[in-house]
Amino acid sequence: MPDEPMSPLRPLISEFADEPELKELVQLFTSELPDRVRAIENAWSTREVTVLRRMVHQLRGASAGYGYPTIGHAAGAIEDRLRELGSTDEPGWLSLRRQVDQLVNLCRSAAMGVPRA
Amino acid sequence: MNPDPIQSEDPKPVVLVVDDSLDVQRLLRARLRSEDLDLICADNGADGVALARARLPAIILLDLDMPDVDGFEVLRALKDDQRTLEIPVIVLSGLQNAQDKVTAFDLGAVDYITKPFDLMELRCRVRAALRLHHLVQMLAQRAQIDGLTGLWNRAYFDSRWKEEFSRAVRYDRPVSLSLLDIDHFKSVNDTYGHPAGDAVLQAFCKVLLRESRHTDIACRYGGEEFALIMPDTAPADAAGVCDRIRAAVAALVWSRHPDRAVTVSAGVAGGVPVDGFTPVQWIEAADEQLYSAKHGGRNRVMVRDTGANPLTLARAG
Repeated sequence: MPDEPMSPLRPLISEFADEPELKELVQLFTSELPDRVRAIENAWSTREVTVLRRMVHQLRGASAGYGYPTIGHAAGAIEDRLRELGSTDEPGWLSLRRQVDQLVNLCRSAAMGVPRA
Repeated sequence: MNPDPIQSEDPKPVVLVVDDSLDVQRLLRARLRSEDLDLICADNGADGVALARARLPAIILLDLDMPDVDGFEVLRALKDDQRTLEIPVIVLSGLQNAQDKVTAFDLGAVDYITKPFDLMELRCRVRAALRLHHLVQMLAQRAQIDGLTGLWNRAYFDSRWKEEFSRAVRYDRPVSLSLLDIDHFKSVNDTYGHPAGDAVLQAFCKVLLRESRHTDIACRYGGEEFALIMPDTAPADAAGVCDRIRAAVAALVWSRHPDRAVTVSAGVAGGVPVDGFTPVQWIEAADEQLYSAKHGGRNRVMVRDTGANPLTLARAG
């Protein structure tokens, strides 16, 4: 079966991109997103529930503050699922993949949306 | 502690953020930059408690969901400690955890802010908590201030003197205590009326504050009697301070009665506290010196080195 074609990512712009008070901080936040994406992917594939929960919890709390509410929601959805999930819930864990992908894509889009400082 | 509570300066309030998320710390710093406050941050619960004890912030913004020591444990530790008990704590919590907020309020939090922060709400809640802190501070201070003179009152003196005394014992440092009494004050009241007596008390206090040092603690002991705590001060230096006060009071010219002088007598007990001496005995020793100053003719300072050589008598003025 051929791979489903990936829809091309479109840059995601922060709601606060033009706010002088936050501009630099938003750039800092987005410049650190690729590292987070790697860490999230890593935590998912090695099944480090605590690490993954901590990472999405922090994204949930902070993303909207940097003007990325959709990232916050996506991270929040994963955090809520992780709360319900037992450590041995194999199908449940695998079904998280779609949500993790969604979060990862949003983070990548945000990282694309900001010109280098 | 400022010796003159009325004129104490108001430095920038310190706001402590306890949150393991660097993103949130940076965000709060940026969002609260326009407020006139000094923001400090701790990355975890244990550091948060330590920093709260060390800096005694005006308010604390506390994340509930942290690894290891979580926000609830931090709240309990803060409320268990006399020093941090009164600091208003605003809880930072997700919208989804209603029960967490209830628990936090039960543990003594005063307010909460939900993440993600709404900018205006964040600032308003921080301001409201700062206002609360300021009022609580003011009330606590008012309860320790003498209404007529603006000096620390007797209740404050009682606790502060014990503190300074035990500090001197612990660090083996000298401390001096002076009791000052306005001479013939009753006759001022009887002759010119109580408003005139009040004016004399107020004028005396101005001199007391002006001629004592920034580190001295001036209190109204009762009636026309005042106490001056002089930390880290040997009896001879304390006598010097008191004699300066005595001379300045005697030199005051009273516009409506230029022929009339007001004088003050003082008794000083000072030195490095020796074993077995109690703060109360130290007050009694100062009182004895005041008594002998009165009997020696008033307008003078009598000193006893209550430390190394408890029997030495010196005299100035």
